[in-house]
Amino acid sequence: MPDTPLLVADDLGKTYGTTLPTRALGGVFFELAEGEFAAVVGQSGSGKSTLLNLIGLLDTPTDGSVRLRGRDASGLGKRRRARLRNELLGFVFQFHHLLPEFTVLENVTMPARIGGRVSGAEMRRRAEATLTLLGLEGLGGKNANELSGGQKQRVAIARALTNRPALVLADEPTGNLDTVNGEAVYRLFRQINEEEGTAFLIVTHERAIAQRTDRIIEMRDGRLVQDVRNDYVAPADASTRGS
Amino acid sequence: MLSLRVAARFLRKSRLQSLLIVLGIAVGIAVQVFVGSLIVSLQQTLLDQTIGSSPQVTVSGREGQPIDYTAALDEKMRADGRVKTVVPVRTLSGIYRGKSATAPLNVVGGALDQLDTIYDVSPRMVIGEARLAAGDVLVGREFADANGVQPGDTVVLVVPDGRALRLVVSGVFDLGSAVANERMAFVASETAADALHLGPQEYTAVQEQLDDPFTSQQVADRLRADPSFAALNVTEWQDQNQDLLNALKAQSSSSYMIQTFVLIAVALGIASTLAISAVQKTRQIGILKAMGMGNARAGLVFVWQAVTLGVVGAGLGVVMGLGMIALFNAARGQSQGSFPITAQAGFIAISFAVGVAVALLSAIVPSRRTSRVDPIEVIQSA
Repeated sequence: MPDTPLLVADDLGKTYGTTLPTRALGGVFFELAEGEFAAVVGQSGSGKSTLLNLIGLLDTPTDGSVRLRGRDASGLGKRRRARLRNELLGFVFQFHHLLPEFTVLENVTMPARIGGRVSGAEMRRRAEATLTLLGLEGLGGKNANELSGGQKQRVAIARALTNRPALVLADEPTGNLDTVNGEAVYRLFRQINEEEGTAFLIVTHERAIAQRTDRIIEMRDGRLVQDVRNDYVAPADASTRGS
Repeated sequence: MLSLRVAARFLRKSRLQSLLIVLGIAVGIAVQVFVGSLIVSLQQTLLDQTIGSSPQVTVSGREGQPIDYTAALDEKMRADGRVKTVVPVRTLSGIYRGKSATAPLNVVGGALDQLDTIYDVSPRMVIGEARLAAGDVLVGREFADANGVQPGDTVVLVVPDGRALRLVVSGVFDLGSAVANERMAFVASETAADALHLGPQEYTAVQEQLDDPFTSQQVADRLRADPSFAALNVTEWQDQNQDLLNALKAQSSSSYMIQTFVLIAVALGIASTLAISAVQKTRQIGILKAMGMGNARAGLVFVWQAVTLGVVGAGLGVVMGLGMIALFNAARGQSQGSFPITAQAGFIAISFAVGVAVALLSAIVPSRRTSRVDPIEVIQSA
């Protein structure tokens, strides 16, 4: 594993508004190594999603910086942040957010198409391999709307993985699924993490999921209050029970 | 070309909406093509009927003096690239003396092949033959009907010096104007020279027709500026037809207004539909941006949609416009007073380009809207 961390959140903060400033996040510092499998927990309004948006380069911090593989992304313009996001990050959202105008295969290859760094044949090969890995073989030609909820979420995961990201950011990926499908998604994440070495940062309010990651980062009132390895699990309290 | 691919999918996904907007553009462009071609054809017909078969620039001697039409003068008149034809003529006022009546005639004397380049007499013969030998005369249909004259008859023409010339009617023409048919007659150049006592190089006027009649003022001004023409009168048709010109300008203005309002309606239609499409596709644009698509590429999606709609709509509009012209011409048949519409290639090309350009302009609002789409808001909503 290289010495440079994959991700550094350095004194990260976000304040909304100027006349009546609201501090959503402040003083957050942590590092994430290549191939790590971590969870971010905290109750609603604790700053989890703000943190994920900043790390995912979807938003810009008002304090501190985000470094990805040593590159400070905070000072980059929108276009370069979009490119870096496409190169290094994959997203899995609570809602699958598939594009209904496209087939499953086209949805899965979309990040690679946007990146434009791999050939069409390679794109297709990778997408089909990922679909097979996720048990979706044979569904590539279907429209995304024709799938079940669980299948849609697996397609969304395949989409996040096909571009071979260094880090997958998952925002409540099981929040909209039943227990069986939620468990399946967790297993997939873990399998990909172990087989591909892809790092995961999973925002979740489900303690059962968080407890099975290698590291738990706990947020409260916009601050990082705990950052522990999976050999220690904080006692369940209101802050991690979710909303 | 991911933006184009996404644009095509958006259009296909909303087939009915795409079809309606294409039809909207098509109807607008069809009206453009039809109305534009109609007005141009109408004006062309009016011009043909009024000045098409008459001189557009005339050089004549002052106070009725003849022109000494030298080779040098001829060369100077033909040197202007806008001039289509130059014809020296000998014109005179005569009086037809019949058995029971008399009638005034404006007689034009010249070589028939040259007269044809301005008056187009030969193709317009209705009886007899197109022939202008010395002693021949060609008369108009209304004149022939009113005076019971037919080819082969001998008519008497009293010329300015009081002599009565006996001329043989070789044919009867129809210039498309009752007044011209009643008042005009053509004779051979030597017949007119004899009537006016002119020498071989002497003419009463030199007449010109132009490739574009609306350049007559510039052509006339050029001649007026030449010292060789200082002692001559140069007149052109626009000076003498202000009413016609005003009518043509009014027609053009009303045509431009109709076309402008049609284009505005088309532009508003496209802009509103694309704006609705941009709202409908906000979620998709947000997702694409979350995956790394930049603002410019996301905005291009709507530009491509507009280009596709514009090209297809304008193309269909051109076809519909040509169809309307064909229908009009078929329905017109042989009806009196009607005129054929000629599809104007240049105008159609401009209409097509304007249609696409209007569609492109209409994409500005939705395209700019995409830059304001925040992927965070999109991905946090169901």
